[in-house]
Amino acid sequence: MKKYLCAGVITSLLIAGCSNKEDGKDSKVALIKTTDPPPIELVDNPETESFGHAIKKELAKKKELYDVAVIQSKEETLVVYKVKHLQRFKMKKIEKDMEKYLEGKYPDEDFVLSSDYKIFLETVRLKEKIQHKSISKKKAKKEFKDIIELQKEKT
Amino acid sequence: MLKGSRSWVFPAQPAILSTGVVGGPFEKKGKLAAEFDRFYDDLWMGQDTYEKANRVLIEDAVQIALEKQSLQKDDVQFFLTGDLINQITPSSFAARSNAIPYFGLFGACSTSIEGLALAGFLVNYQGADKVITGASSHNSATEKQFRYPTEYGGQKPPTAQWTVTGAGYAVVGNGAGLTTPGPRVTSATIGKVIDLGLTDPFNMGGAMAPAAVDTIAGHFQDLGRDPSYYDLIVTGDLAAIGRQTAMEMLKEKGYTLSDRQYQDCGLLIYGEDQPVQSGASGPGCSATVLYGHLLNEMKKGTYKRILVVATGALLSPLTFQQGETIPCIAHAVSIEFL
Amino acid sequence: MGKTPKTPEQQKYEKLEKQYETKRPLLKNVIKAFFVGGAICLVGQAVSYFYIYFFNFTEQTAGNPTVATMVFFAMILTGFGIYDHLGQFGGAGSAVPVTGFGNAVISAAIEHKTEGYVLGVGGNIFKLAGSVIVFGVFAAFVVALIKTLLIQWGVI
Repeated sequence: MKKYLCAGVITSLLIAGCSNKEDGKDSKVALIKTTDPPPIELVDNPETESFGHAIKKELAKKKELYDVAVIQSKEETLVVYKVKHLQRFKMKKIEKDMEKYLEGKYPDEDFVLSSDYKIFLETVRLKEKIQHKSISKKKAKKEFKDIIELQKEKT
Repeated sequence: MLKGSRSWVFPAQPAILSTGVVGGPFEKKGKLAAEFDRFYDDLWMGQDTYEKANRVLIEDAVQIALEKQSLQKDDVQFFLTGDLINQITPSSFAARSNAIPYFGLFGACSTSIEGLALAGFLVNYQGADKVITGASSHNSATEKQFRYPTEYGGQKPPTAQWTVTGAGYAVVGNGAGLTTPGPRVTSATIGKVIDLGLTDPFNMGGAMAPAAVDTIAGHFQDLGRDPSYYDLIVTGDLAAIGRQTAMEMLKEKGYTLSDRQYQDCGLLIYGEDQPVQSGASGPGCSATVLYGHLLNEMKKGTYKRILVVATGALLSPLTFQQGETIPCIAHAVSIEFL
Repeated sequence: MGKTPKTPEQQKYEKLEKQYETKRPLLKNVIKAFFVGGAICLVGQAVSYFYIYFFNFTEQTAGNPTVATMVFFAMILTGFGIYDHLGQFGGAGSAVPVTGFGNAVISAAIEHKTEGYVLGVGGNIFKLAGSVIVFGVFAAFVVALIKTLLIQWGVI
């Protein structure tokens, strides 16, 4: 009796958990593998204002990291990165270094840095949605705001 | 009759008339399963607490022992028993239900032989015609009492022992009118409390071995016997470590015993494949092995004279947490097939 | 709790007894603990990724539901009488992760259910785990105090 109850609870949890998203190829493996997403530019004239590509290229050279994603919007730029496993002990230092580098290079921009897998995953998801043109630019901006919110959550 | 400093000889030779031996599911898988009268397949034994289950074991074993001789409860004058649970309540509660005048005994795992020695004395000197004596233990109730909750995933060291779930009871009666030969209680030696300073509650065998050695040596001195008098000397629950230690200590005292001649109930009851670490323990260990296996072997003629030495560790969960050492005791009874 | 010194006789016996005492197989235990503990943590990591991937939790915030889920698993395994066997096999490997804490709480609750819910379960549920909570909270307090003082003095 108890066994069935437990099994029921677990399966229903799993079904409820698994059925809510249909993910693209990249976001399915974003937690595990290098996905190397191209930067997202949510600015009005990507040709002139964009520096997402430059940042990504520069940061990808850092040998502690193995994956970088950038979302650039008008107000702030989100830089998400994955740190190599054994370098994770030095996470604080890596973040400080990057902050210093970015502030030095683009003193007028606001940067939000994160090494969180969840933020990375959401970035990839957003990128996929934009690529498939399934959301409008306005909606994309809102989702970007949500990601920033999520990043600030502590508990 | 007192002989030497602490031994009794029973000239009237009280007889062990019948026995009742009950076990739990784990004992059913053991080596001696054929020697039990009844098994329970569930540790709860149809009760809602383990303490009640322990009481059921006692009631059943007593009932079986009485039925084998077609005795009524009124035919038995005294009930001598004990166990390990809080203030020996399972025994007292069993005495409430069977309404036989009752002596509550506490000698930890030596209770079975303490009871048998006293029963022999009572019957020998006409203090009673028939008494029923024995001991019981319940694995889960004892774990709860002395160690951690049963389901707690703590790792037990290889020195630990497994408390037997079981009860062994015997009716001891006046053997004067008996025509057929049977097991008789011929002498007993009462032990001193010995403490050689061990503190590990997961190594009872090691702590109790000196008590067993002291009692065995005392028995030989008091009665002027030597090990060759007995076909078998068996200790209660010293298990692997305690048995080895005891053998070594006996050798030092000049009593060399062979592996065959000296055995231990804690090593007899379970199979090698059962995860009991060092061996078995508990008042139920010596009681079930003696009143089941050993008496059956005597009836078959394997042994003519045996010396049973049950050892007990007289600690409580409180004393070892307060850093006290473990005082131990052992009582010996010789049983001869006459 | 003043310990009385051992008499020569006791010391002699201790030496003798030690010869026959089965030693804990330390290396074997350590290896088993490593793998059992590692396996439990692997499950924990999977649960954590599960929350990150399917729900709106970040690495930071996924910790709480993951711990709750692991304790839930420990509860089921304890209730079915599996965790104590795991503990005998894995030793510290199953005791140190949060599942060990869960097991300590739940086993005590099961054990004392026969004494009633208020004084039995309620009174004894933290019999084993209570000291983890007491010293955990106390240690956290001390560390926080030191940190606050160091910040006040401008050291960090």
